[in-house]
Amino acid sequence: MTETELSIRDKLIKQDKWLLVVVCILIIIGIITIFSAESGFSGRGATYARRQFVAALVSIAVFLTVITVGCEKIFEAAYFIYFLLIFLLLLTILFAPKSMGSQRWLTLAGLSIQPSEYAKIAISLGLSKYLSRNPPLTIKSYLGVFLFASPVIILVFMQPDLGSTMVFIAITLSAVFIAGAPKRYVFGTMAFFISFIPIGWQFLKEYQKNRLLVFFDPAIDPLGAGYNAIQSRIAVGSGGVWGKGYLEGMQSKLRFLPEARTDFIFSVFSEEFGFVGSLVVLSLFCFLFLRILQAGIKSRDIRSKVLVTCVCAWIWFQMFESIGMSMGLLPVTGLPLPLFSYGGSSMVSILTALGLVSSIHSSNLKFYK
Amino acid sequence: MSEMKDVIDLRLKLCRWFILFTITTLAVGLYFFQVVHTDTYVSLATRNRLRFIRFPPARGEIFDRNGAALALNETTFDIMGYPLDLMKGDILEKFAGILSKQGINTTSADLINNIKRQQMVPYRVVTVASNLAMTQMAEIVSDPDFVPQLFPMPVWRRIYPAGSFASLVTGYVGEINEQELRQSRNRGYLGGDIIGKNGVEKSYEDILRGAVGQEAIEVDARGRRVRNIETKNAVPGNRINLTLDLAAQIEAFRLLEENGHRGAIVVMDVRDGAIIVMASSPTFDNNPLAWGISSQEWNSLITNPHKPMLNRAISGTYPPASTFKALMGLAALTEQKVTPQTTFNCTGAFTVGGRPFRCWRRSGHGTMNLLAALQHSCDVYFYQVGMRLGIDTILKWTKLFGFGETSGLDMPGEVPGNVAGREWKRNRLKQPWFPGDTVNYSIGQGYLTTTPLQIALLYAAIANGGYLVTPYVVDGHSKLPVDLKLNQEYLALIQRGLFSVVRSGTGSRAGAFGLEIAGKTGTAEVRGKGDNALFVAYAPVKQPVYVVSVMIEEAGAGGGRVAAPMAGQILAYLLNK
Repeated sequence: MTETELSIRDKLIKQDKWLLVVVCILIIIGIITIFSAESGFSGRGATYARRQFVAALVSIAVFLTVITVGCEKIFEAAYFIYFLLIFLLLLTILFAPKSMGSQRWLTLAGLSIQPSEYAKIAISLGLSKYLSRNPPLTIKSYLGVFLFASPVIILVFMQPDLGSTMVFIAITLSAVFIAGAPKRYVFGTMAFFISFIPIGWQFLKEYQKNRLLVFFDPAIDPLGAGYNAIQSRIAVGSGGVWGKGYLEGMQSKLRFLPEARTDFIFSVFSEEFGFVGSLVVLSLFCFLFLRILQAGIKSRDIRSKVLVTCVCAWIWFQMFESIGMSMGLLPVTGLPLPLFSYGGSSMVSILTALGLVSSIHSSNLKFYK
Repeated sequence: MSEMKDVIDLRLKLCRWFILFTITTLAVGLYFFQVVHTDTYVSLATRNRLRFIRFPPARGEIFDRNGAALALNETTFDIMGYPLDLMKGDILEKFAGILSKQGINTTSADLINNIKRQQMVPYRVVTVASNLAMTQMAEIVSDPDFVPQLFPMPVWRRIYPAGSFASLVTGYVGEINEQELRQSRNRGYLGGDIIGKNGVEKSYEDILRGAVGQEAIEVDARGRRVRNIETKNAVPGNRINLTLDLAAQIEAFRLLEENGHRGAIVVMDVRDGAIIVMASSPTFDNNPLAWGISSQEWNSLITNPHKPMLNRAISGTYPPASTFKALMGLAALTEQKVTPQTTFNCTGAFTVGGRPFRCWRRSGHGTMNLLAALQHSCDVYFYQVGMRLGIDTILKWTKLFGFGETSGLDMPGEVPGNVAGREWKRNRLKQPWFPGDTVNYSIGQGYLTTTPLQIALLYAAIANGGYLVTPYVVDGHSKLPVDLKLNQEYLALIQRGLFSVVRSGTGSRAGAFGLEIAGKTGTAEVRGKGDNALFVAYAPVKQPVYVVSVMIEEAGAGGGRVAAPMAGQILAYLLNK
């Protein structure tokens, strides 16, 4: 098998164009919704929508750069990237200032970044390389995978960022599952996590416990944590079939909805565009996931298969949690809705990951030449 | 290996089904809320009638060391309402009418602007009219046009009985501004809240502020209260006592204002750093600031050329002039550059680098040892001491006593002054350090600037046997003094010199009040302005309790003439009580 390196032009032409189209549509809907979320009772501004637009342009540039560089070269640096991010997370724990009770932001050379967002790419790369070399077939190598992933999981948990911790766990579990771990290990792990719930509970901060408790009964704390869940569900439910129309969502305009442009962005969208609009967004996400998985199925490389699964698990988990939360069906964790919520770090890291997926897609094609 | 790939592909395909399943679940959930039960939520949304009221707590009161009130609270009434309900119909026009009956001239447009300025969230209460007396409030509420969407609320207003006599220490409160809101995120402040803006009100904000109470109520479609959902009572702030002695403080202001001086008087307990007096003239009345003044009045306060809002005791920097000589003497003895017996001949000037540096006494002092040089404040003696020490050693000793740094006083606004050496001069003036600079330094002139409080700290250390104290104004917040490990023999010599300054030297006017005082005069030349007069002293000499530092800007005469009698009088006031 002679591998011919694709030219940059080929790489860009052969990328998964459908993937890019879906991503762009989702980002545009996101920016439109952010604009709506920030225009409120006392006037309109487009500060955040404008910033998100800039973040989107930067992210797409990053996306195309990743495709140009190609997944092959990035795989080579996988361990380096992984350990670099562990280091950054360590710096965050040690030096980042506390804001809202947790340390998530690191300022490097004047740029404020959220290392936990980038760690999601790093762990996906690290795991896919690690698993392709050490298939999780024996109990020892199976547990080794968790040991490999644990520094990131622990550091993010310490920030504390419960939502992201769960994303990392979801990524790790899906990676070992895809890499062919025997069924009994998979079921064993599930049993372990279920039995771990009461122990893990002890480690949670008071506000985290509260968020989870009010999920079961929002009336426990109608003005605190439960308030958000109730107001968000009212927003979604009152949207009806067709929605109240763009910029007409009273729940967000009157600021009954907290964190409207980040955590509860889907509620804002859903109130204004209704069930029909929500279905469109769900379908777009569904299509996106199928494209991601398709790249993996077509690939001949175990590394690539694991990587696309990690990326898919990550985006899926955040989407499922964020939309579930907006209906008050899942606890409030503060995870952004991928490609939608306001936030530059999240956007850049997701498009980097999708760039990798698209690059895997185009490198699949070269074998069929 | 290809068997492995089959397993993986099988599982990838399984993932597809899993994703389809979960997305369908979400779709079903959305269908349930947005299609099946949408009526419920539409009516919940239109009836979203949660409203929040915040009850500001009574702020902690402030007293002086003898229990005299410095800051108290007074109840007045505000008329409040919810923006969500007020913007409907002609509610605000009617209300403006009611107010004008009370002689308060306002239009509905003014009210709307006022509401817009405060409002962060439309369902949170805003103030429509404020500072009403009980009788006014009663008349407004009983007016037939008064609507139930508005309601009176008792609120606390800050009053400062000591007004301008303590305003620079107590500071004042005011409505929180946007910058402060941003800086204090997560500390529970909202627009419209009262926050300490300056002085102790600011530095002890967390003790004074108390906790805001909150009530959540449900209102009907017309904005009338239906039921209470949650009530949390306000917790009043804690009282604090200052170390300040208000009566002595007033005496200090009398001394300053008698001759219309601009300047500062600081009195501190030499044993632990308790501030007894901190007066800075001119001053300002903090009462109008706490009640809200117009931007015009505010501007005239901050653009006043005499800077009434500048606390000269801690925010004004001045050359220490001859008060610095005590430090030079101590440094020279300890560094073995002179002995008590070393003498220099003062001919009225001293030449360095071809340039003559004059003694203040043009005819010269003749032969001087350290004791006599302190007593008569001989410049030439200290010029030579300075040359022997060299600038680096002088700086080391200057920093030892806390110059060039803030002292750790529990009040905002303290400045470090400037202990400028070679590096500072190179960076700022692009010039090397000249021997002449060192000569200037030796008598506390040149690039060295200090606050009156820092000079008090130096003399407190001389008086208390070599301990650098941390000054404080709130009772119970003293810190342990730092032992500077000074040579006690040399210290005693300096103390003797300072005593002779008042007994028969340049500071004799401070000794006219029946007390044994030790101190040092200072007369600072300021380029382009009149001389500043300084005097720093402690008493009683045998067992020092108080140190006083007096600084008068552009006094028109030297420290011995202007500042020394003031220091003597304030010490006499405190010790003869």
